[in-house]
Amino acid sequence: MDIAPYALQLFSGLSRAMVLFLLSAGLSLIFGVMNILNFAHATLWLLSGYVTFSIFTFLGQQFGASPWMLVPAIAGAVAVMALVGFALERFLIRHTYDRELPEQLLLTFALVLILGDVIKLIWGLENRRINLGVRPIEMLDTLVNPYQFVIIGTGVAVAVGLWLFLHRTRLGKIVRAAVYSRSMVSALGIPIPKIYALVFALGVGLAALAGGVFLPLLPMALGVDLDIIVQCFAVVVIGGFGSMLGTFVASIIVGVVYSFSILFWPDGALAMIFLIVIAVLIVRPWGLFGTELRY
Amino acid sequence: MTANAKRTGPLSRLYAKFGISGPVTPVLLAAAIGVPWLPGEFWTHVGTEVLILGLFAMSFNLLYGYMGQISFGHAAFFGVGAYATAMLFTALKGADGQIGVADFLLSLLVGPPVAALTALFVGFFCVRLTGIYFAILTLAFGELLFYIVFSWYSFTKGDDGIQGLLPPPFFQDSTNFYFFTLAIVVVAAAAMWRITESPFGYAMRTLRDNQRRAAFLGTNVRAHMLANFVIAGAFAGVAGALWGPFSRSVNPTLLGWGESGIAVFMTLIGGAGSFIGPMLGSVIYTMLQAVVKMYTVYWPLTIGTIILLIVLFAPGGILGMIDKRVQATRARDGAAEAEAAAAARAEAPRP
Repeated sequence: MDIAPYALQLFSGLSRAMVLFLLSAGLSLIFGVMNILNFAHATLWLLSGYVTFSIFTFLGQQFGASPWMLVPAIAGAVAVMALVGFALERFLIRHTYDRELPEQLLLTFALVLILGDVIKLIWGLENRRINLGVRPIEMLDTLVNPYQFVIIGTGVAVAVGLWLFLHRTRLGKIVRAAVYSRSMVSALGIPIPKIYALVFALGVGLAALAGGVFLPLLPMALGVDLDIIVQCFAVVVIGGFGSMLGTFVASIIVGVVYSFSILFWPDGALAMIFLIVIAVLIVRPWGLFGTELRY
Repeated sequence: MTANAKRTGPLSRLYAKFGISGPVTPVLLAAAIGVPWLPGEFWTHVGTEVLILGLFAMSFNLLYGYMGQISFGHAAFFGVGAYATAMLFTALKGADGQIGVADFLLSLLVGPPVAALTALFVGFFCVRLTGIYFAILTLAFGELLFYIVFSWYSFTKGDDGIQGLLPPPFFQDSTNFYFFTLAIVVVAAAAMWRITESPFGYAMRTLRDNQRRAAFLGTNVRAHMLANFVIAGAFAGVAGALWGPFSRSVNPTLLGWGESGIAVFMTLIGGAGSFIGPMLGSVIYTMLQAVVKMYTVYWPLTIGTIILLIVLFAPGGILGMIDKRVQATRARDGAAEAEAAAAARAEAPRP
């Protein structure tokens, strides 16, 4: 049996999974803690891709082009986007906490439309991509882009880091407690508004990281965010809202199923994912790893 | 006295009887009848679009306003209705691309039942969930149907869509097609009104406000929700059936969640709390889009900003805002009147 095409799909599926994980982790945290389903999450990811590109280009002009410039570019974009997230929470999302769910959805959906056009205004219609010029390496009888391993490594590192943050630090424990009972956390004298702002900034920061590491792999294009956000919803639903482990496993399921479906049914890859979502929602609405508590 | 006189006008009486939809509906209807007399074919064309999408949004509001659940997959039924009509239309039309009037009407009739059947299947699963889970499950079903239509090339022509849906000569005239659409939309809206004002409609309101209490009162919550889901799907199918002959083509994006979003926006802008709100939302949304797109490509930015402002400052939509004002005025007038009456009583000599 020729395993080359399968290996290729596996690696691209896993790197896709890691990007989905970075996005869905933030989405899931924000929903878990603040009860806000952020439709604009992938649009913020897209925006951070463009920001990373601009910083990368700027650094290249100042100090000479080098693939390593991507690292400070991503760091800069994460910082910028975390600030943007903080400001969004402070000035917009904060006003909708006591509102009904549909209104919250519509507010973040309005941000999708606005930010999409802001990107168009600033960067135009052209797709943006960073070419690192890495040479594919030969393994398993096929050529693999080694950058995919960078993405997979980043995803795993962030997953471990997030787990440590949520389970080993005081702040992380507060965030986890807030997922279970906001009013109880608040009653213990912990300033909930600060936790909200922090979680939102953290979520957007993770999205920015995903945008940055994604750039050398696939071009950033207008409208991609709409495809990605529904896949992130799929991940979060399959894994269970608020569960980091669930989000991680579900990202791998969605990423790998997607890239293997492409082999067999190119146009229907996303249909497969929605089939899984439907099956999970019907059988276990709280997701594979979620607890029935939130349902 | 003046307060009393103000409240005897015909619009005031309609308000007292039907709420804010009472006075707004005849005004909208009168405006709708006048549209073809505007200069140029453009506004008649926009008016037809307003009516079709308004009907679609009103069917969505059966779920949102009356059942309290937000669906992000409602366009699936709009799109399935449009495709059912378009496919029968294509099968019935002659080699010269012409279709007879009877065949044309027959192809329109097939859209709603097919949409209703699809809604029955999808709704069977969706009504078990509420809130965010309902929203995402409807989204997932909608996207699934979108990708099936998108990729099943041999059956649906995939992303090419179905073109050449030229109605019979009489309906090719934009004014005739406009009045034909208006008649269907008025009948459909009347049917929806009848449903929402029936005991069934009030049962929906009860379970919207508190599902558990509705269940205690003996309402079969799931069965009621499913029935409402199918009804909403059927009316979305009516709107979808009209869409193909109107735009002369159908394509898979009619089923996508972007199209579902349009119904959500219209409902939000007009006001979900009133029956006619989504139609007013369609008037504003569709006409604004037609005008804004003439001048700029930044339509999403425009509508996004409008939605943002409405969510932040006018949560009940435009009709919700007006209704609140009217209620406040009436309460004030009522209070003033009661005070005057009390004063008159006090002045009157005691027996």
